[in-house]
Amino acid sequence: MASDVVAPAAVGRPRIRIQGAAKSFSGRVVVDVDDLVLGNHPIEGLIGPNGAGKTTLMRMIMHSTALDRGTITFIRPDGREVVLSSLPAHELAHQGVVKSNQVIMDFDKLTIWDSLLLASTEARYEQPYRLFSERATFERHQEEIRHYLDFFGFSDPMGFAMSAGEKKLLDIVRCLLLKPTFLLLDEPTAGLPDDLTEKVMEVIKELAAGGTSVVIVEHDLNVIWSLCDDVHFMAEGSVVLRGDPQSIRENHTVVEKYLGEGHV
Amino acid sequence: MDLITQSLVIGLSEYAPLVLAAIGFALLYRLTGLINVAYAETITLGAYFGVWANTSFGLDFYAVLIPAGLLAGLVSVGTYLLIFRPAKHRSVGALEMIIISFGLSLFLRYGLQLVFGYPVRFFEVPPPDTVWVLGVGVASYRIIGVASVAVLALLLYWFIQRSRWGLQIRALASDEDLAQVSGIRPLVVTMLIWFIAGVAGGLAGAFFGVASSVAPLLGWRQFLPILLIVLVGGAWGIGGVIVVGVATGIGLAAMTLQTGQVLYAQLLLIVAFLVILKWRGRRLTESAKV
Amino acid sequence: MNLDWLNAFLISGLFEVVVVIGLALLLHLELGLARIANFGVVGFWGVGMYAYGVLYVQVDWPFGDPWQFLVCLALATLAAGVAGLLVGWFIADLDLDGVLVGTLGFATAVAIVATTEQDWTGGALGLGGLRFPFDLDSVKSEELVWLLITAAVVAAILFVVWRVHRSPYGRSLIALGANEPLARSLGKPTFRSKIWLFALASAGMGFIGAFYGIMVRFLELSNLGVEITLAAMVGLVLGGSARVWGGVVGVLLTVGLFDIVIQSYLPLPRDWYTQTIPVMREVVFGATLIVVLLFRPLGILGDMRRDKLMRKLHGE
Repeated sequence: MASDVVAPAAVGRPRIRIQGAAKSFSGRVVVDVDDLVLGNHPIEGLIGPNGAGKTTLMRMIMHSTALDRGTITFIRPDGREVVLSSLPAHELAHQGVVKSNQVIMDFDKLTIWDSLLLASTEARYEQPYRLFSERATFERHQEEIRHYLDFFGFSDPMGFAMSAGEKKLLDIVRCLLLKPTFLLLDEPTAGLPDDLTEKVMEVIKELAAGGTSVVIVEHDLNVIWSLCDDVHFMAEGSVVLRGDPQSIRENHTVVEKYLGEGHV
Repeated sequence: MDLITQSLVIGLSEYAPLVLAAIGFALLYRLTGLINVAYAETITLGAYFGVWANTSFGLDFYAVLIPAGLLAGLVSVGTYLLIFRPAKHRSVGALEMIIISFGLSLFLRYGLQLVFGYPVRFFEVPPPDTVWVLGVGVASYRIIGVASVAVLALLLYWFIQRSRWGLQIRALASDEDLAQVSGIRPLVVTMLIWFIAGVAGGLAGAFFGVASSVAPLLGWRQFLPILLIVLVGGAWGIGGVIVVGVATGIGLAAMTLQTGQVLYAQLLLIVAFLVILKWRGRRLTESAKV
Repeated sequence: MNLDWLNAFLISGLFEVVVVIGLALLLHLELGLARIANFGVVGFWGVGMYAYGVLYVQVDWPFGDPWQFLVCLALATLAAGVAGLLVGWFIADLDLDGVLVGTLGFATAVAIVATTEQDWTGGALGLGGLRFPFDLDSVKSEELVWLLITAAVVAAILFVVWRVHRSPYGRSLIALGANEPLARSLGKPTFRSKIWLFALASAGMGFIGAFYGIMVRFLELSNLGVEITLAAMVGLVLGGSARVWGGVVGVLLTVGLFDIVIQSYLPLPRDWYTQTIPVMREVVFGATLIVVLLFRPLGILGDMRRDKLMRKLHGE
């Protein structure tokens, strides 16, 4: 329940500030955000109808989609600000800004263990002159990896991720192993069975309680209502409404125009 | 002034076939997304077909252009049907596709050498008249070459942009599924693209061949310049390819005149174009494919 | 040493096989793991070969062999590595077309420079004056020893490649090849990886090129043609581009067939060997590349088996 998590003061939380950010695809404006701060609360939801620009906005933060204009800044827990939009894409993970993917993304030649070791391994072990560091890397990280493998119950972790659900889960676990300070989740539970959805939600809560800011895009609104401390409602490229889950649920415009009665 | 007029005249007359070849390659690249290394051998084959028609049947050079273009076009379609289409059906990746075309290029190149041997071949044509253009002597074939390239380029442009077939080609290139729903037969249209590209390459080969000699490496020598021209100019469509191609020809001529070494000119060209491509960076990848 | 039993063609055939295996192994790191097609292998090995030759022959060194050999070899390897660094930087953020034009353009540029700078390279006349860094009683025994040394070098490369598959470095290369954006989002500096991969693999290719130059002792521009790139690529692809042993198996079956079996053991008319066979070889190689990629894209050995490997390394 949202109320179980005590929200610390806004100061000191890792936050992402998006200013004047816009993106158009062949003339159609998909995202146009004037000034938006994500991460004031431990877990925030980003909802809205299809085509509202939620996924694009997240991709813009992660450099997967180039900005037409604007800046995106990461405010670290220590108060220092980093301009994400002028960092190389791979630096984001080092800053602790990590995103899981909406569509299934996998390294099809790597096994589950491979994939998770890859996520946890520090750059200094991945140098061509360190050809004998596999053992050490494995020993450093096997405990945390085994923890997640046991928790989620992968069928054959030495083999490849087979089902779509397993790949989705693998994507999330990779993100967790990066020890994010700001975690963006794009439809994390889509395609997962209920018991796993529960487990993913449990992990997210744990993470948020530890100080990580989490932003979730999700179509399953039950996940949003039960998990989020704050919800941003996006339509036509910008956030038109924000507030606690209760107030969004009761907002008539939102309900009538976008969500339909069934979801409330 | 002398250098400028000389470079202009020599550049245009000597490198006009390069522009034609680049147009053909660009068509294939933009419309099918394939970098076909074996296009080099389409050019070479055009030259060989030309020599064959010329020496076996005594056709004069202008008559030779017809079989040279048509046969090269047919070979081009043949490589599509025999290799690239099956490869696509087997969903061979883009990387493997380039390696396949690289293999085909070498197969054809050395196959030609196996069949025709080392001696270079020449067109049996009367020694060309020298025409004086702006005080620079130019062989008459080259003038014809420039004129033909200009006409062919215009025809191609008209065909792609204005004709009914051109419309279908562009539709297919931009969205295959949608095109198919609209009643376009992809196989026929794709074969047409390969044919046109092959004709352009074959004619370029014949022009290259009559200007000097015909050898298995003829097309391969032109491949890198063609690739550079298409990657740099292709971002602005066929028009861009023509402009960059012409500029390349003039630039090569000027640099050759200045340094006295055609190889230095080529080296400078490679470096300059690579710098441009790097500077433009990733934008190329988004805009260069239809 | 009495080496009458040993056919001189056999030494050169074996040497060719060993050298191409070395190149195929290095190409495997680029093409098989990181999925970058290097069409300019010949350029890097050519830089190594010519840099070694020019430094060894044209520079007045205050010391003789073996120091002259070692210094020139180190500098030649460095030159090839720097070339790789440059090409790697060029292709790092470009797609397939950029890689093709960058590597091919580099190889062409190397051939042009070797032709034009004839005061240094000898140009079309060739460059003589190279020799083995040791003296033995006959050329044949010197060649044999050089073949063995080169084989040891290539065996070392094989060991390195084998280790790469069993190291975090190899895993990061495979990830980069399989899904570069995903690898970047996991914090992997993929551009930098590509640049260093090219620098190291190219240095290795240059190293082998210098060894080749010493063996042939006379550098010709014909060494800078596309044939060596094709040989390494076809061997790797036929054997299995994703596998450690792919290059070894494939090169034995392709270059081994032509340069050892046909060259030394088939009773063919003499003029075939100079005229027809070398051309036939390229025709067959080109066709092999097409057929393998159409019908068995992962080659004889098939795909890499990380599941088996992981069980072996960390198994339960």
